[in-house]
Amino acid sequence: MASFASEFEKLLPEVEKPGRYSGGEWNTPDMSSPARGDMCFCFPDLYEIGMSNLGVQILYDIVNRAEGFRAERCFAPALDMASKLRERGIPLLSIETKKPVKDFTVVGFSIGFELLYTNVLYMMDLAGITFRAEDRKEDDAIVIAGGPCSVNPEPFAPFFDAIVCGEGEDADLELLRRVTEGREKGLTRAAILESIADIEGVYVPSLKREGYRVKKAVVKDFENAPYISKPLVPTVESVHDRATLELYRGCASGCRFCQAGFWYRPIRERSAKRCASLAKDMLKSTGFGELSLCSLSTSDYTELEALEDELSPYCRERGITMALPSLRISSFKPDMAKDSRKSSLTFAPEAGTQRLRDVINKNVSEEEIDKISVAFEAGYDSIKLYFMMGLPTETDEDIAGIAQICRRLKQLYQEKRHKRGLNISVSCAVFIPKPCTPFQWEEQISFEEMKRRQFYLRGLLREIKGVSFSWHGAETSVLEAALARGDRRLSYVIEDAFRAGACFDGWSEHFKWDVWQAAFEGRGLTMQEFTRARALDEELPWDFIDVGVDKKYLARERELAYKGVTTKNCREGCNGCGALKMGRCTIL
Amino acid sequence: MIVLKYQKRDEARFISHIDLLRHISRILLRAEIPVKRSNGFNPHALVFFSPPLALGVTSMAEYLTIDTDMPAEEVLTRFNASTPNGLHAICAYGCEKNPNLQARVSAADYIYPYPYREIDFSRVVIEYQKKGETVKEDVSSKIFSARDEDGMLCLRLATGGVNLRPDRLLATLDGIYGIKGSVTDIIKTAQYVAADGKFVDVDDILS
Ligand code: SF4
Repeated sequence: MASFASEFEKLLPEVEKPGRYSGGEWNTPDMSSPARGDMCFCFPDLYEIGMSNLGVQILYDIVNRAEGFRAERCFAPALDMASKLRERGIPLLSIETKKPVKDFTVVGFSIGFELLYTNVLYMMDLAGITFRAEDRKEDDAIVIAGGPCSVNPEPFAPFFDAIVCGEGEDADLELLRRVTEGREKGLTRAAILESIADIEGVYVPSLKREGYRVKKAVVKDFENAPYISKPLVPTVESVHDRATLELYRGCASGCRFCQAGFWYRPIRERSAKRCASLAKDMLKSTGFGELSLCSLSTSDYTELEALEDELSPYCRERGITMALPSLRISSFKPDMAKDSRKSSLTFAPEAGTQRLRDVINKNVSEEEIDKISVAFEAGYDSIKLYFMMGLPTETDEDIAGIAQICRRLKQLYQEKRHKRGLNISVSCAVFIPKPCTPFQWEEQISFEEMKRRQFYLRGLLREIKGVSFSWHGAETSVLEAALARGDRRLSYVIEDAFRAGACFDGWSEHFKWDVWQAAFEGRGLTMQEFTRARALDEELPWDFIDVGVDKKYLARERELAYKGVTTKNCREGCNGCGALKMGRCTIL
Repeated sequence: MIVLKYQKRDEARFISHIDLLRHISRILLRAEIPVKRSNGFNPHALVFFSPPLALGVTSMAEYLTIDTDMPAEEVLTRFNASTPNGLHAICAYGCEKNPNLQARVSAADYIYPYPYREIDFSRVVIEYQKKGETVKEDVSSKIFSARDEDGMLCLRLATGGVNLRPDRLLATLDGIYGIKGSVTDIIKTAQYVAADGKFVDVDDILS
């Protein structure tokens, strides 16, 4: 087998940011001893983005700790590198040992975002991997997928031999083990796939028949679950260039639009003691100057105070900053502002009126918005507000409410600080109905309606000084919605779109709306078929995955939404969503 | 103050100067070398570099100045136990004050991947891309000397405030030799400070 390493190295000086491909990151495990089986984790986005992905680092670490097995990484090369690879006939290589990706025992794609689907094909194409699982040869690598998009894997299912639905901590290594053993025993590809089908969370698309069910994989003992004590330190600055500690999984808030909030149930917390020791290990082994405590709603973490007390002195002594992302207004405390070096606050009311916030079960009241004045007192001069547009039952009045909140904040600022000059930046995403949420049956507002509402809000905000407004592209929102609730027919659309030049769709400068439209049309489909409202009794493409949360519970939540009735936070007591059957909610 | 002389090679060649600054601060944190911090609103660790090295070039002579009270020997061992592959310190000098190499270095030696031969450098015009435009520049005044280093071509080039990036000479040399050289085969071997009309090796200033 020819080695491409030296040829590849010659390319490096010719491309932008060669550190994306050179490898040699601090904390890279020793790769010198031979492995029985190996797995290449492929992340379908650039190095800077992929290196910030917690899931990939956790799984990479687990495999590398296992005796006899090895994990390597590969990220989507930028376009300049891709064209050089094609020019010289070099296939996609792993970062660590520069081994062709297609020669690994298992190739695993982590898919976290619908607009990355074409990038998966982009990487397969560069690697020389056959797109469709059914066309792969006996000896070809077993190609699998995992990550948040496994909540509805159908649009990309035909590209994979297996898909890990849910959390990969246990499933990935077990799968690699069984595939390796199967190869050692000389089993056929079909037999190997059969041998992995009963691993919890593993979905083998080729075995799907009437009545086929997959149970989402869940880490039962989250407290003691392996965590990266020695994260890789990126060579090129990554988007979250810091140590990241996951405090808990799941979310007790129950916001009705939020997929992660339901998908990651049951709610499992790690103790402050374990978190603190993990954090210190990570900081020691990496030298990162920043620690981020990360979870879906970090400020709700039961032992947050104890954890901060434990970590603050440690960080202060070493000049390390502690970042607390995704604060919720209801848990805001005045000293949070003082401790932080940042001068900008981030809040997400998501909707402009109390009525609509009740519909989506976003527990933020008018009084709590008023509490932001504490932050103004503490010295904050700018604030970022996140909203969604096109939520179920939304009217123009709700949109006007967004402008109203901005006015109110300006008034509060002036009262507290006796001056004008508060900077508000309003960011407004388009609501995307996602599987595994109470809104999974909703329609997405039409393209024209998105444009109209955006225009309306922009007009209202222009009248207020000091407010800037940014919004998500309507086109990408429609596509994301169509892909999120799609079925297997979309695999052809994705393939056609890729062949017609779609790639890096999440990057506005690369997004090709016309290519996507043509791809849908070419298969006799429209995006509207997938963004439309679904009937409650309709069979949904993702129904075969048991996520713990009952479909009936989701439907009940939807009904409550329409009545404007909120559901209490799970920390006040169990709401009976059904996730308990998959493991204990430790907050109860 | 401690000045570390270190090598930057292998994978570390591809760490850009900006990324290198972050790497060094992380190495120092991992190594638990206590670095003094500046006063003021936004305190930062007091570390100082020699002029930036072109991406992809190997260097046997980079310098890092650290404001610390830790003994030189200990800094050296701790540093080396915490560096990623390709970054390696070879010696540590103690000194009274910051030698300010960033500003004072004015030349460096580079070994090129071509056999030594006499070349007329009295007029060398190079071409390179800058902000999407092609720039032509006569760099003959930035090539101070050429010599035979174990049979290879070794050039002393302007470095620092007046600078000639070693990779930008490659095309010219390719033309002369009729072979294609790669940036990754250039090796920087020494840095110099100008004193009394002479070039003095930074090592000699420090020891
Ligand atoms: S409703 Fe009950 S089972 Fe479901 S997440 Fe909340 S506490 Fe857990």
